[in-house]
Formats: sequence, structure tokens, C-alpha cells
Amino acid sequence: MIKKLLSFLVFVSMLSSGTAFAQNKTVSGTVSDESGMPLPGVSIVVKGQTKGTSTDFDGNFTLEDVASSDVLVFSFIGFADKEVAVGGQSNINVTLSEDAEALDEVVVTALGVRKETKALGYSLTEVGGEEIATVKQTNAINSLQGKIAGVNITQNSTGAAGSSRVIIRGASSFGNNQPLYVIDGIPMGNDTNGSAGMWGGSDGGDGISSLNPDDIESISVLKGGAATALYGSRGGNGVIVVTTKSGKDKQGFGVEFSSSVTFDMIDNSIQDFQTEYGQGRRGAVPANQEDALDIGTSAWGPRLDGSNVIQYDGQSRPYSYTGNNLDKFYRTGTTFINSLAFSNAGENSTLRFSASDLTNEDIVPNAGLNRKSFSLNSSHKMMDKLTLDINAKYIREDVKNRPRLSDSPGNANFSVALLPPNVDVRDLQPGADEDGMERGFSNNIYSTNPYFAAYNFRNQDYTNRIITSAALRYDINDWLYLFGRAGIDHSTRKSTSVTPYGTAYQREGSMNENERRYTQVDADIMFGVTRDLTDKLAVDAFFGANKNSIESENLNLSGGRFIVPGLEDISNTRDQGRSRSYSKRKIGSLYGSVELSWDRWAYLTITGRNDWFSTLSYPGKETPNDDFYPSVSGSVVLSEVVDLPETINFLKLRGGYSQVAGGADQAYQLALNYTIFGQGHLGQSLGRIDNGSIPNANLVAWNKDEFEIGLDLRMLNNRLSFDLAYYNNESSNQIVNVAASPTSGYGGATANIGVIANNGFEWLISATPIRNENFSWTTSINGSYNNSEIKSTNDVDGEIGLGQARTRNVEIKQIVGESFGVIKGRAFQRDGQGRIVYEIDGDGVPLAQEADEWQILGEGVPPLNMGWTNTFNYKDFSLSFLIDGKFGGQIFAGTNAITYGNGLHKETLNGREGGLQVTGVTADGAEFTTTVAPEDLQTYYGRINDFAEPFVEDADFIKFRQFTLGYNVPSRYLENIFLKSVNVSVIGQNLFYLMRKVDNINPEAAYNNGNAQGLEYFGVPPTRNFGFALNVKF
Amino acid sequence: MKKYISLILVALLFVACDEGFEELNVNPTKPSQVSPQSKLTAIQLFTSGGRYENWRANLIYSSTMMQHLSATAGYWTGDKYTRNEGYASSLFDRYYSDPVKNIVDLQQQLETEEAPEEMKAITRIMKVFIFHRLTDLYGDIPYSEAGKGYIEGVLKPKYDRQSEIYADMLKELEESVAALGSGTSDYGDADIMFKGDMEKWKKFGNSLMLRLGLRLIKVDAAGAQAWATKAINGGVMTSNDDIAYIEHTNGPDGINKNGNGEVFTADGNPRMSKTFIDILAGDPRLPILAQRRGDQSTNPADLVGLPNGLDASTYEDATGMTSLDDFAEPNRNIITGEDAPMFFQTYAEVAFMLAEANVRWGIGGDAATNYNNGVEAAMQMLSLYGDAAVIDQADIDAYLAANPYNAGTAMEQIATQYWIATFLNEYETFANWRRIEMPVLTPVNYPGNVTNGTIPRRLIYNQGEKTNNADNYNEAVSNQGADEFTTRVWWDN
Repeated sequence: MIKKLLSFLVFVSMLSSGTAFAQNKTVSGTVSDESGMPLPGVSIVVKGQTKGTSTDFDGNFTLEDVASSDVLVFSFIGFADKEVAVGGQSNINVTLSEDAEALDEVVVTALGVRKETKALGYSLTEVGGEEIATVKQTNAINSLQGKIAGVNITQNSTGAAGSSRVIIRGASSFGNNQPLYVIDGIPMGNDTNGSAGMWGGSDGGDGISSLNPDDIESISVLKGGAATALYGSRGGNGVIVVTTKSGKDKQGFGVEFSSSVTFDMIDNSIQDFQTEYGQGRRGAVPANQEDALDIGTSAWGPRLDGSNVIQYDGQSRPYSYTGNNLDKFYRTGTTFINSLAFSNAGENSTLRFSASDLTNEDIVPNAGLNRKSFSLNSSHKMMDKLTLDINAKYIREDVKNRPRLSDSPGNANFSVALLPPNVDVRDLQPGADEDGMERGFSNNIYSTNPYFAAYNFRNQDYTNRIITSAALRYDINDWLYLFGRAGIDHSTRKSTSVTPYGTAYQREGSMNENERRYTQVDADIMFGVTRDLTDKLAVDAFFGANKNSIESENLNLSGGRFIVPGLEDISNTRDQGRSRSYSKRKIGSLYGSVELSWDRWAYLTITGRNDWFSTLSYPGKETPNDDFYPSVSGSVVLSEVVDLPETINFLKLRGGYSQVAGGADQAYQLALNYTIFGQGHLGQSLGRIDNGSIPNANLVAWNKDEFEIGLDLRMLNNRLSFDLAYYNNESSNQIVNVAASPTSGYGGATANIGVIANNGFEWLISATPIRNENFSWTTSINGSYNNSEIKSTNDVDGEIGLGQARTRNVEIKQIVGESFGVIKGRAFQRDGQGRIVYEIDGDGVPLAQEADEWQILGEGVPPLNMGWTNTFNYKDFSLSFLIDGKFGGQIFAGTNAITYGNGLHKETLNGREGGLQVTGVTADGAEFTTTVAPEDLQTYYGRINDFAEPFVEDADFIKFRQFTLGYNVPSRYLENIFLKSVNVSVIGQNLFYLMRKVDNINPEAAYNNGNAQGLEYFGVPPTRNFGFALNVKF
Repeated sequence: MKKYISLILVALLFVACDEGFEELNVNPTKPSQVSPQSKLTAIQLFTSGGRYENWRANLIYSSTMMQHLSATAGYWTGDKYTRNEGYASSLFDRYYSDPVKNIVDLQQQLETEEAPEEMKAITRIMKVFIFHRLTDLYGDIPYSEAGKGYIEGVLKPKYDRQSEIYADMLKELEESVAALGSGTSDYGDADIMFKGDMEKWKKFGNSLMLRLGLRLIKVDAAGAQAWATKAINGGVMTSNDDIAYIEHTNGPDGINKNGNGEVFTADGNPRMSKTFIDILAGDPRLPILAQRRGDQSTNPADLVGLPNGLDASTYEDATGMTSLDDFAEPNRNIITGEDAPMFFQTYAEVAFMLAEANVRWGIGGDAATNYNNGVEAAMQMLSLYGDAAVIDQADIDAYLAANPYNAGTAMEQIATQYWIATFLNEYETFANWRRIEMPVLTPVNYPGNVTNGTIPRRLIYNQGEKTNNADNYNEAVSNQGADEFTTRVWWDN
């Protein structure tokens, strides 16, 4: 397919050879408002083309490769469009009028097509690259957190190289819910390379994090189905369209250098444990070394008194608080990002090349990553009507030691957090003795010495990734064009993980070597029409076809039990295994879009896409292997046709209906397969059925039907604006596991049964309360409320488990009638008045009774998300900050549950002197009051921590998320030197919580990015981040 | 002109949006069928079982209920008759998803490919072995519709009455042994039990028929006698050469290993039950089967059994011992290896059944001779564990001289020897004990037990069946009685 397309492109270019190149030129100028103030960020496009630029901070612009016959369209929010014919001019100064009657901001929509916002019948948010480049994060997508209504980004506590969870308009699927990422028109693989679960593990990072923030020109977030319908079966979770910088907005040769450094420090305001009682049990200090080892993480000793008390290593140390172990174990993380970009815009071509290096040292000792990115974007006008764009990116990522999370084995975070107050974590150094054996601090071999976990465990990977594409556009005449694009996203990822020889829980150790090869090839061909049919009626239509193929291969070598200690190589293991997996799938599509506009105030867009799936094809299969995905959307700019009060400058109503889809993305699911497994037995090979679940030959992708309505309102001379949206969708035909009895031989069968409904509001309210020559203040509040409901799970509407906490008393579930991913767990038995029912056990310590069934204790995904951004500009200074919050969700605080049991939680101080009075009722309804003796508190609190209920806490928070203070060196200082612009800024992130309901943990501390949100268990502690950034243009 | 050329090109490029898709979605890494031979080898290993169900159903529950083993750890729930649903249903869970599923598939393949009758017969005997183990442990179970999730789309198989399952299994054995001749079947060496030897399969089929027949003794004594007679006349095992067992190796994967052996590698909690050690007093098997945990001593004087039903806080008072290391455990140098053989049915068991048949009905040859043969075979077969397990003939003779067959207590003697000989094949120990209730085992009464202090009579089903297969599960409960440990299976009534 690609060969065909490339030869076609070559063919088309041959057709055009011999035609003389037109003489084009560069125009530049300044755009200002009526008062003469320069306007930054004004969009300038060549009418009828995709080419465009925007003005810089001083209102200047340069646009290369413009023909005399071209017409430039200047547009800016709150100002009337202005069209200027280029003619003989090369310097064009434009004054825009503050008139919102026409509001022609141009944004990138599905398939990379640029459209005026007023023509859109759906909600779309475009974010400029500066949002991402100013406050750089190791995963660029995290910069959008709290900034876009309807987009819920969760940065988990997985370490600097970890993945993020990005959910648009609520989760639509029982499977993957992350959006499709499209980079310069080419879909980008965003698989998560492993994540932690209840039994531990580490987060392998995701695909989108490889993007260099300095290369991003803009990000368009296509939220609903009407916006994504042209992506058909891949649009169900929303689409994030990233456009990288091309150099088109530059003039001549330019160099841009930017550099930033960020320091990550433990936010030690979060975890607040007791520091008054030390290691021990039942109020007594450890009697001897063996005893200290037995109770390694138990803080049930007496009040710290400074006396000498024996510890795990047989040494006696003062029985007193040794200070915060988090501060002592973790280090200050650093992230240096340096980018250098060269661009050149010539007569017929533009070129931008950038190289970037990101070096991170995580707060976890011996962990970090290095990412080198190279990006080349070029555009060539090969002849008058033929333009070729070529983009290529090469990314090399080298990650050293992804920290283990959740369950305790190999998890440094677990051990550090749970050490009793009198045990200094630094005394555990080094993690291994001279023979390489782990130095334990506890007889629980699964509590790993944190230094051993950090320095002796290995969990490293490196990835080579190439994303490249070529696009050719041929303007047949001024209203017909032909466009072709092909690209590839290819990566290989090699990872090594080692449980070293000498590990307490696995003395002989083990290791794994894995190599994953991933290739996605995508090609489009489009034929477009843009024409005014009458004075008032215009059509903008295109029809196209797409082919997409994804191939992946995984090679794995495993080795158990090292033979020569310290040599970490597969050949040095006793039990060796190997495996390979492979899959390839394709989608072929035809699509079309017709936009009709009437008099530039009424717009109607109809799109359709038909996808054919290899994953739904099989020899002899009779049911269809394709599906059709339509959408219709429209907008009416009422302010252009109806007399409205003068305060209203612009009012647009919009609405859309769509059908999109997702899933059905696993190859080889339709038929039963066999496998030759293991390595034979006594010379005989072993064969069996491979499938654990009954294959369903008639499986299809799940469907999502959505309608949305919205309005754009701008008033008070555009100083106040509202963008509101309401959507309502239902995802049906969810691919679920139909309950089968295990006696059928199978764990289940897959079927299209499940239904999830979401509806919600999104709002963006922006205001510019102050704007004058030297000072301006803009403020905006965005938010969304998403209401989800599981309408059907499987054939019996049973509960679907998504994930359990390691404590095994709480689980995230899909339950019919409830919202997506509720938290269900072990709860107290209560009497009619809600009082906890106890049994006074033989030992006299009240034993709370367990409710007959697990109860729904909360919802893991907060439904309400808000962000408040403020930007102040004073002359050349700008200051902005972001406060965001999430509300209405809960989280199971595993840290609190465990520290209730081991006596670190502050609430376990109650009763340590004089006992704790407990009041309750017994099973027969009799009230009782009893005093739990101090030495029995360990038993009492230990019994509470068997329950999930007390530890499912509100996850509401308001966080001071981001702060930047920037200074633009005024151009007058730079005039006589070779610099074009210099910007310096001070940045801060995750600075503090204005409100946080759950104690001791970060309310966003989930340990993976899957659907089981709402479980916290010993991830990497939260950090505060401070930094400096410099951007220089030559 | 250019325009039209381009349009034609577009049309050509995308004329078929799904060209080649059908072939693309055929998995290139997995076969669409494999040989019956490879399936049989896998099924035999699956039947021997993995660590999972051997740990839970065989050892944690059955071996401790039968007082072969004991443990103080709370999760050794059979030791205390407490409830762990997942442990109790582990054989049910694993057998249906591995051996049952694959043998149902194998049978279909043999039919489709019109394989030789002897291959079908061997497969049927193997299938009876799998199902008799399941039904003996659980009672009424899915049988006729089991394992047909893909073949017939049966997601919720019905539970057949055990009486009907037994009738069908016995019929299957009868027909299968009739179809077997002599020589080597096409399974050849892929048959890791008998290397395709049809004579041995015939003996195994008849021996299994004898086992199943005797199971009916409580509910259908006449039927039991008829089937026993038929089995004996057909020819049962005659020596340790005929034993049905699986040879395991030390890896490379879990499937190759003896599942019990893997448990002993992972779990240091099990001890020899006091009941077992006491019965083995003076038995030359004692130092082969047991050793002292702390110092590996096999001196019979050092071998003290741990009583069942104790926990870490009660054993010291109950036994006077201060360390769990002072009790005997399964001999880790001989019988707990991951390469140890796994016995399905032994000649010793057959000899004891013959002795019993002779006591009951006067068939099968002299009871005393069969008893002596059984004891001798049970001691000699330990040599399959290796040279360290070889018992001198003189010791065997001495034992028999000291413990001669006694017609007055024959049934108890026979049953006790059967109970000793099936150590580690606890499914069989449990089934045979329930039908004959000898040797007499004193139940424990641990706080929180779910049997009112009586020895369980079955294990409970997978509790997910209540939702995943509700109608059939409920029908089984209404036929058989509550899904509890105390409910008796059909032949135990």
C-alpha cells in the first residue's frame, strides 16, 4: 500500500515536472488594534490554503512563499477579519477593528484540516505550543492538566518516566479509554509499556511522552464524536491532534535556543505520621535483634525516650525520632531540557530542524531518564500548485530504573514510608552486604531494603523511535485540490529487569530481557473542493481514503536463578525461557466531508466514514467486516442575523450528532487456535487449545452515539466570553466478557453487550477585566462535570472487577446503575441507627463486625474538574498561575490503611496513654463502652485496618498547580545585537494544596493509568517543582 | 487531463479497502490444529496437575482431612475444616479448564480424523479417570456438557447426577477395554503413562472399573459386586509394572514438574500428621516417607507427628513440643522432589481391592495372599522415588510377619494399608475412606470450623457458579443437598 502511494506521489510529481516554478515572495508587517497597540497571536492564513502564520509578541509577522495573487486573511479573537490582497506589497501593516461580528479564528480539525471556528458545530480546544513549552514536563501532555474543559489528565505517582491517564468527556469504554494521538496527520502509538497492579510492578511509560515540548506548534483537542467522526472507529475516545513547528512563521534564517532546569523536591507537607512512639509491639521495645527483625515496620513501641534500644542489625541506637525518612532517602530531582532549533524560510521552501536533550534525575535514587529528540520539518513549493511537506522525528529514550510501585517486593517507597520513627533509613545503607546479599531490616522478606531496591534492582529500557511523514498537495485549480499523505511511527524498545542475586525474597534472583518492535503505517489520499456556489452558498468538501496498519512483535527472554552471583545475563541462569508474540492488523477506510455555508453565518457539516477491519475478517466469515460512522453538525452565528442587545458582540449556537467507535483492535480474536507450549516432556511435545476465552467470530467495534449542543457568547467588547457545551452519549456494543461457567472449559466468551452512558457540561469563561497599554489581566475558568452510568455489563449484568488493592479488601468495579469505576470494599456492619456492631472478643478488644456484603464506598473518577488560569501582563513582564481542582471522587488510601496497622498513622496516637474508650453496640443491640488498654491498641487498630471503609476518603482537592513569571527583554535592547528575542521565566509547579481532604497522600496518587482509578498504594511520593527557563531567538 | 488521471489513480489505489484482510487475520504464530499425540501428553500432565490444585485441593484440604499431613498455619484449612472457597474449588477450576477442555477437544478430533479405535479407547479411559476424580470430590458435576464451550457453544453446562455419571463412566470403561487389543497404539511414546501399550491400558481400564465398582458399595452393593466381577474377569493390574503413574522432571517449566513437589518446594508448613506417624510405627516405610523438620533425622524414634487441628498458639500446650521444627515432615530427600512420580492408580491398591472383594464376595483370589501382595507392592513401589527409597525384602517380610493378615479385622487392615499406600494421592485416599470409613479417624473441632467438628464429606463447588451458571448450580444443590463440606455425594449415602 505504501509502495503504491509513494509511487503515486512520485508519479504526480513527474506529471508536474517541466512546469516552471512561480515566483513567490515573502511579506511581512505588523498587526495592531485601532489604538495602535500591537496584537500578538493574530492568525494569518493565505485564503484557500492551509499555509499560515501568526504574529509575535510585538505584532510582527512574516510569511514566506506568498504569490501576488494571494489574499491574506487576518483574524484574531474579538476582532473583525480582514482580508488583504498581496498584490505588489511586501510590507503589509494591518489594523484590526474590535468587532466580533466575524470571528474567524482558524483551528486544526480532524485529519489536519484547518477550519474557521465559527463553522464548527462541536467543541474543539486548541492550545498553542507555548502552553507546553513554557512549563516543560517530562511528559508534555501533563502540561495540559487543568487547562481544557472536559479533559481529565491524571499524572500518577509513577515517577518521572511514568505514563499519564488522559480521559476526554469521561470514560466510554470497558477497555482502553485513552484518546487517539495524531502527530502531523499520522496516528501515533500510545500503548502503555506495562504498569503496576495489586501485586506491584512498575510503570513503563507511554508513547505520547516521547514528544519534545519545544517542537509543538499547537495541540487540538477534538472532544466529542462530531469532532472526531472522520476518524471513525478510532475516534471513540476523542482525538488529540498535534501539529509540530514547521518554520513557516519565520523569516529567513533563524535560531532558537531554549533551556530550562526544574528541581523536584519531596512535598513533605503531604505525609504526616506520628513521631512520638517508636518501634516495638504492644507498648514494648524490641527485646533483641531477632525481635526487632520480627517487627521491622511496627511502630507500636513505647513513647520515644532517647534510651538505647536494639535494632534490626543488632546495634543499639537512641530511641528517639530521627527525622523525616522521606527527606533522607529521596533526593532533589532535576530535569534539564535544552533545545536548539534552526529554521530557514526561503523563496520556495521552509525548513526547521531541532535537537533537544532532556536529562532527568528522578527523586528516587539511581533512577532517571535521558531523552534525545531530533525533528526535521520541511515544506517545499515544488511548483506553482504543488507543495511537499516532509516531517521526520527521531527520539531516543533511555530510562534508568523505573521505580517499583504498589506491592512491597522491590518497592523502595513502601519500606521508606513505613519505617518506625526511631529507625533512620540511612542506617540501611548500603542495601547489600559484601556478598551482594540484601541487608534486611525485617523478617518480612517481602519488605525490601530501599537501598537494595534502588541500587541493586534494575529496571531499565531504551527506545528508538522514528515518526516520519510526507504530504503532497496539488492544487488542480483554485477550487479543487488533491492531497496525499503517508507516514510511519516505528519504535523498538528494549528493556531489562533484574531481581538481583541476593534478594531476600528470591535468593537466587531472576531477570527478563524484552524487545518490542512496533510499526504503524498510515496513508491518506484526499480530493477536495472549496467553492462559492452562489453569492451566499459555499461548499467546502473533501473525500478521501485511508489505510492504516499496525504491526507489533515482542521477544522475551527470561532467566531464573543466577548461577554466578552478580553476573546479570540470561546465559547465567538455571531456568531459561523465551517467548515471542506477533500481531498485525489493518484498517481500510473511505471518508468524506461536506460543509455548506450560507452567507457566512450558517454552517452545516456532514461527514461519513466507512472502516473495514482486518480484525473482523476471517476466511469463511459471513458477517460484515466493516462499519459506517456518520456525523452531522451545524452552527448558526445568531449575532449576525438577529438584533441582540449591544453588549453582546457575538453569539453562536452549535449542535452535532455523531456515531463513532472504538475497540476491535486485537488481531486473531475470531478463531480458535492451538499452541505447542512449554518445552516438551520426556521428548514429547505438548499441545493444547490456546484460547482461554471462547472466540467470537462476530465481534464488532463498540459504538458511541453522541449529541452535543453548545454556544459561544462574547460580550462587553469581547472582554467577557462564554463557551458552553452539553453532551450526551451512549457507548453500546461494549466488548465484554460474557460469563461462562469454568466447566465449559473457558473463562468466558467475548460479546458486544456492555453499555456506558456519559453526559456532562463543559464551560470556559474568559474575561479580560483590565486591558490598557501597559497592563492587562486575563482570567479564565474552565470546568466540566461528567456524569457516567454503567447501563449494562454482561449477559447477567454482573459486576466487572477492574482491579484490587493489595490489601485485598477493596476493588474497583463496573456495576450496573453506578458510575464508571466505583470503589467497593469491606465495610462495617451497622445497626438500624448506623452504629458499628462489635463483638467483644475473647481478648477484650472490640472486634468490628463485617457487613454481609462488600459495600460501594465511593467512585474512583472525580466527576467535577475545574481549572482557573490568570495571566497578568505588565509591559514586558508576564505572570500567570493556574489553580485546579477535582471534586466528587474518592480514593482508597492504602497508605493510611497500612499505617493504621503499623502504628504510624497519627490517629493511632489516640489512647496510647491511658487507653482508648470505644463505644458501640453488640450484635444483640446492647450499647457498650469499653476501654482498650494501650498495649491492646495494636490489636484494635489492626482490626480496623482489615476494613476498607475507613480508608476510602474524599479525593477532593484544590491545588496551586502552576506559576510562571516571565520577562521579555524588550526589543529595543536587542536591536543592535544579533538577538531577536530573549525571554526568561521562573516556573513553579504543584506548589501546594489550597484544599485537600485525604490525609497523608496525594489525592491523585493512583499507581497506574488503567481503568482501576481510585487506589493508592505506595507510589513515588509527590513533589514540588521549581525551575527556570530561558528562550533566545537569534 | 491530469485531473482525470489522478482520479483514476485514486480509484485504483482504494478499489478494495479490505483486500487480503481475511488471510491477515489468521494468526501466523499459532497452529490451527495439533496432533492428538501432543494433546494426550499434555492432558496426562494436566491430570497429574499443577502446583495450584495440588497445593489446595490435594494437600491443604484432602491430605489433612485424611490425617496424612497436618499444619498449624491458618491457611491449611483442611486441617481445621475451615472454609476457603477458592482452595476447595481448585481442582474443579483447574480440571475443567485444562484436562477436561482438552480431552473433549481431543475426542472430537479423533472422531473427525477417524482415528483408530484403540486411540479413542485410551482417550476414553483417560477421560473417565479425569471425571471420576472430579465427581468423587464434588458429587454432581457437569459431565455430559462439560468442556464444550467452543465445540457446541455450551457456556453453562448442566450438572449431571453422580449416579448417572458413574453409570456412564463404567459403561465407557467396559466399552473401551473391549476395544483394546495388544501391541502399541498410535499414541506411542506420546502416551507417557504406558508408551501406548494397549495391554497396560486394558489392565488400567479394568482396575479403574474395579475402583469405581467398589465405590458403589454403600448405594448399590449388588452393582458393586457385578462391576468388580466384570473388572476382575477382564484382567486387572498384576504387578508394579502395571502401575498408572506420570514420570516428572525437574522443569524446565511448571508443567514438567510434580505439582506436589512444587508445593513442598514453596511451603514449609506441612508436617506429618500424628495419626499417620503413629500408624506407621514399625513400618519400614516410615523413614522413607518422613523426616524430622529441624535436622532431617529419619530415625523412627525422632519422628513425631503433629496432631491435626492445632495452630501456633495451641500446639505447644497440646503436644509439649516447643518448636514446629521438632515434628516430622514429608521426607524432603526422597518423596517431595519436583521430579517425583505422580501415581494415578497402583497395583498395591488393586491388590487391596481384590482382597476386599474376596472378603465380601469370595471373588478375586485369596484375601490373605492379595493383602500380602498389596503390602509388598506398596513397599516395593517406593523404589520409583529413587534408590534411597528401596526397602529390603527382609524388612518387608519382617513387617508382614509382625502384622499378619487377620480375617477378623481384615476390612480395617485392608483399608488402612490402602490409606497408607495412597499417601500423596489424597483424592483417592479421601474417596476410598468415605466409602469404607476406615481407618478410624478422630475428627478435630477447631473454632470456626464449618462441619460441626466432623470430617468433610466433599469439597464445595466454585462459588462463581452461583452467578455464572445459576440455574444448573441450583438444580445440583436441590438434587444433592446444600453446597457444603458436610453434604455427602451420591455413593456416600
